[in-house]
Amino acid sequence: MDAFIALANGLTVALQPMNLLFALVGVLLGTAVGVLPGIGPALTVALLLPITFKLDPGGSIIMFAGIYYGGMYGGSTTAILINTPGESASMATALEGNKMAKAGRGGPALATSAIGSFVAGTIATLGLAFLAPTLVELAVKFGPEDYFALMCVAFITVSATFGDSPVRGLTSLFIGLALGLVGIDKLTGQARLTFGVPELLDGVEVTTLAVGLFAVGEALYVASRRHIEEEVLEPVRGSLWMTKEDWKRSWKPWLRGTLFGFPIGALPAGGAEIPTFLSYSTEKRLTKYPKEFGHGAIEGVAGPEAANNASAAGTLVPLLALGLPTSATAAMMLAGFQQYGLNPGPLLFAERPELVWGLIASLFIANTMLLILNLPLVGLWVKLLAIPQPWLYAGILVFATMGTIAAKPSIVELAMLGAFGGLGFLMRRFDYPIAPVVVGLILGPIAEAQLRRALSISLGDPMVLLQSPISATLLGVALIALILPFVLKGMSRFKAAED
Amino acid sequence: MSTRTPGRVDKAGLVIALFLLVLAGLIWQDLSGLQLSSVYGLGPKAMPMVVSIGLAILAVGNAVIALQGGLPKRERLDWKPIVLILGGLVALIACIKFDVGFIPATAILFAATSAAFGRRAFITDLLIGFVAGTVIFLLFSKLLTLSLPMGPLERLI
Amino acid sequence: MSQYRKNFWRGAFAAAAVAGFVTSAMAQSELKIMAPAAPGGGWDQTARSMQQALTQSGIVKSVQVTNVPGAGGSIGIAQFVNGAKGDGSQLMVMGYVMVGALLTNKSPVTLDQTTPIARLTGEYEAIVVPAGSPIKTAKDLAAAVKADPAKVTWAGGSAGGVDHIAAALFAKAVGADPTKINYIPFSGGGESLAAILGGKVTAGIAGYGEFESQIKAGKLRLIGLTTPKGTPEMPSLKEQGVDLEIANWRAVVAAPGLSADQKKTLSETVDKLAKSKEWGEILKQKGWDDAYLSGDAFAKFLVEENTRTKEVLTSVGLVKP
Repeated sequence: MDAFIALANGLTVALQPMNLLFALVGVLLGTAVGVLPGIGPALTVALLLPITFKLDPGGSIIMFAGIYYGGMYGGSTTAILINTPGESASMATALEGNKMAKAGRGGPALATSAIGSFVAGTIATLGLAFLAPTLVELAVKFGPEDYFALMCVAFITVSATFGDSPVRGLTSLFIGLALGLVGIDKLTGQARLTFGVPELLDGVEVTTLAVGLFAVGEALYVASRRHIEEEVLEPVRGSLWMTKEDWKRSWKPWLRGTLFGFPIGALPAGGAEIPTFLSYSTEKRLTKYPKEFGHGAIEGVAGPEAANNASAAGTLVPLLALGLPTSATAAMMLAGFQQYGLNPGPLLFAERPELVWGLIASLFIANTMLLILNLPLVGLWVKLLAIPQPWLYAGILVFATMGTIAAKPSIVELAMLGAFGGLGFLMRRFDYPIAPVVVGLILGPIAEAQLRRALSISLGDPMVLLQSPISATLLGVALIALILPFVLKGMSRFKAAED
Repeated sequence: MSTRTPGRVDKAGLVIALFLLVLAGLIWQDLSGLQLSSVYGLGPKAMPMVVSIGLAILAVGNAVIALQGGLPKRERLDWKPIVLILGGLVALIACIKFDVGFIPATAILFAATSAAFGRRAFITDLLIGFVAGTVIFLLFSKLLTLSLPMGPLERLI
Repeated sequence: MSQYRKNFWRGAFAAAAVAGFVTSAMAQSELKIMAPAAPGGGWDQTARSMQQALTQSGIVKSVQVTNVPGAGGSIGIAQFVNGAKGDGSQLMVMGYVMVGALLTNKSPVTLDQTTPIARLTGEYEAIVVPAGSPIKTAKDLAAAVKADPAKVTWAGGSAGGVDHIAAALFAKAVGADPTKINYIPFSGGGESLAAILGGKVTAGIAGYGEFESQIKAGKLRLIGLTTPKGTPEMPSLKEQGVDLEIANWRAVVAAPGLSADQKKTLSETVDKLAKSKEWGEILKQKGWDDAYLSGDAFAKFLVEENTRTKEVLTSVGLVKP
């Protein structure tokens, strides 16, 4: 059990007072920027790099780890409270989380998200410590065709966010897919649907769309209905904390979310969005309270939040084991390593074990700190909802535009935010589901690029999708997921008829 | 205004169907202008084709629902708050376009939104927005060294 | 490690230093540097490192960095050329990627509209194959490309970027048809690296730094570098009979419509920066190679790179003639 000894040594590094301080600064900064839409951990680490290079490598890398985990916690807080996902990975959390908050259950929603993040982060960090070398061997075996198959699974599960009308759900999804076409085609470098506007060349930013549809659209909708029904927000109804029932309904989603998040996060092109959607739809299928979904079901917060944090730890697997930066934040952390002349990868484990294990140990510490920090804050956060409605929504709009301006200071981007707000309003008015639009924007471009890569490598032979065992298995799963609901429906009808 | 009574045509629903059809046409027109193709495998036109055809089919689907009057019931719309909020956004964009600066832009948006939600203390809200904008500006420019849009006021700070 | 690279750049450096050496008492007190990219990327890091070195060494009192991200710099340059006209206190960071991006995006603004100041850093491209590949040398790879360019898949960065251009130049240099190369663009460094390590593609191409630790760990085999001269462990392509030289460089340019004096002041500021101790430390820390080249030599270099890139992109079919 070399890893255990190494981890214990790592803990002694991470528990040094100075390093604890760095971790604390990191989680505080991370939470702060995670709250801001458009400004994520990657940007923060980038801006801090020049400042930290004077510090010792251990300390600053530990701080980056804190920022990374902190950002994941912060993003969900705004998603739950004000329906403004700080990053695309918190979108699934907003779906049920904000409904819970509006029903006075913001406390339990924040709590299940914090505890779920802690549980998932801890399990996933353990996975990082003990499984990284094995997992990474599997991860690089994933080729473009396998990613495409994974996208197929994800597309099928999207239907969980469709609401009650398949036509309206598909309409939303295809609007998202159309938005995903905008910009430079990754494989040939040509502009598609940009209409000569250079700002559109980079495509539609996911956070702009999500914040526009969710936050601005919601503000418009609520404002337009004030003369019919006054929205009454009660910060706390019932218990501020999770009840026994809440615990019972949360623990399984936490574990399942971790199971989705960690391995998919470890894939070089896996990302954090797909596991959160997979988790959301799984919970929706498995729940004993299907009627609550869409109105604030705690499982729909617990699962995606766990998946989100587990995937953050998963991203560190290829980074530490191979030196592969698979997310923007990981790329910045790699730059952080490199400015000390350190190159992550198999050699770093051998050459500087105290650093690697110190980092892993500090991930545990950052995680614990975040839990201790966030749980008492729950009471404070929900008080935000007690702010008078005009100010609350004015603040949300200022918040939404500020994130956009800071990330991309262009008028076109702000105009898009406004337009997406209008779209969000109309979709609410005519009862089209919102989430599939964002899902289409995220998944569409990835699915297209991966399929085209696979077919380019195979020189146009589509059989490559079935020849790869991973891809064939995943496509099989997708097929079952597609057919199973119909079969189950048929069976239950059959049963009902028998009764 | 319409109700879910079957058989009644929902005009808004037909407009939505028309919008989807136009979008499909737009994508088709755009993809036919693409000059380069991939050397191997699928070209850049495949995905837009799928999306365009999909949207066209969905336009038909939505039209059918609209003709059956299948859209949900809607209440009368109060346009004033919507105009106020979107107006606030337009003002914000104009402020940034014409170098008035981030802080006044934020103040206007805050006050306009607040008014849309029924508050009648425009000047007070303008001041609150102003203070909030200043705090945000300082936070970003001093702490994160990110440059937010500058106006005369921001240059003074 | 990068001794051979240093030597190459040093020649250019010395020539430029002689050519660009002028004394002037005028100093710059304020400078604005635009990074035409989002915070965190290579250009942004260059701009912020310049800011750090310039203020720490006291060459310029206050330096402000602004970010205008989008489309490989196409948006930044448009704003810079229009907004900074005649302003002698503004610089913009740019690089080889922008040359290609302006061409493929059919940008109405071109590099001719800026005032070239100096090239600062450069990184050579490396071609690698998975450790288990039957391809051992550049000759093997050349033979494979020549036999059937479709069967040799290349993993690299964005379409029309420096990696893509290098792959096309390789095909051209070995006498294969560059329009037939099977180049597969990946979004991030990590993704393409994973595809190479997983053996999904024949070869990979990127800046040497991205492959360094994998090569050292024995997971990737280095086929060659795009330098003129290599070392026994790190051979150049040229020494193996493939005439291919390319580097991913970064430079600074100034606004159009500057007076001779304004241009001179800016050039001197950048010259002082390039020779400062602080800048030297940053280069070492970030692992960037010094590729300082200023004055007319840089202007000429920029024109040459533009012409060559246009030629290559046209031959690959990314730019219509």
